Amino acid sequence: MKLVYLKIIVIGALLSLPCTTKVSEWVLLNSVPDKYLLVYFHENELTEEVKQQNSEIEELFHTSNIFLKTLQRDEIEKPYYALYFNNRLITEYADKEELLAIANSPIRKKIAIELMAGKLCVMLYLKSGIQEKDDKGLKVVKKSVAESPFGSVVTVVELDRKSTEEAQLVSMLLNVESDLKEIAEPMVFGIFGKFRALEPLLANGISQENINLMLNFFTADCSCLIKDNLPGVSILFNGNWDNPQTALVNKIIDANPHLEHQ
Amino acid sequence: MEQDTIRYDSLDTRPLPKWLTDQRDGLNTYQPQKLEMKEDRSLQISLISTGVVILITLVILTFYFLRKNKKSIK
Repeated sequence: MKLVYLKIIVIGALLSLPCTTKVSEWVLLNSVPDKYLLVYFHENELTEEVKQQNSEIEELFHTSNIFLKTLQRDEIEKPYYALYFNNRLITEYADKEELLAIANSPIRKKIAIELMAGKLCVMLYLKSGIQEKDDKGLKVVKKSVAESPFGSVVTVVELDRKSTEEAQLVSMLLNVESDLKEIAEPMVFGIFGKFRALEPLLANGISQENINLMLNFFTADCSCLIKDNLPGVSILFNGNWDNPQTALVNKIIDANPHLEHQ
Repeated sequence: MEQDTIRYDSLDTRPLPKWLTDQRDGLNTYQPQKLEMKEDRSLQISLISTGVVILITLVILTFYFLRKNKKSIK
């Protein structure tokens, strides 16, 4: 009989644990990134060479949130690859060589390292290309992060919208919402979990108040409401998310209990 | 999460992200059910029904003893 009580206490304790985990940590440990779809469009039957090429691509991206499909269609001049996310076309690629940088880039690697090191989030500042606007927004972001009690566990990364090296990442970020490509304003994407990007703050929305709300979101206890309807969009990344470092935010909250959300 | 933003006239009227408005309005946390006081008439009903039962019992017993006594007097 005593064993039954012990089991009930242990199960109760385990069930209560997820509710005290912060949003950023819970998403990193438990969420599965949404998958991108890479389609190989072709008109004629697949040759052995193409089959071999596609299996090499699958092997190359086996740790990425992407899957490959082949689709036979009439009236295609030349076979090509197309990347989709949620039925939205992201980019088209003429051959395999163009695909190599699809799931990785220097900034993506840097962001993944920060997230795996236990950082609360990475604030990715996507510049508009208009110096005056970019400087103004960046100043607000840096000031807000510096003045936040969680500033030491937040990394700010700047990204030029016209960067050729990061063109894939820029394209994916601008597809987080349907209208972003048409907006020539600086944007702040909160990146958390296994490379998930929140819908961005942009233009006058880049304010200290809104950045603090973003940090409040990441440091909140992960409620079932958030788990069931997780905001943001997964970004394509080829990497290993096993064994991340303990979330650094917990140390800050343990040392400053008044920062705990009520 | 819905990716597409709803239509808007200018950048100033573009809606804020849902995660932000939910966080601002406290909708991301579990909302305990609000308890509202309802009008409670159970005490009145209980007192009235008790009174009615007592009255009926009194009437029945009165008639019973009156009849019984009448018979014994005769």
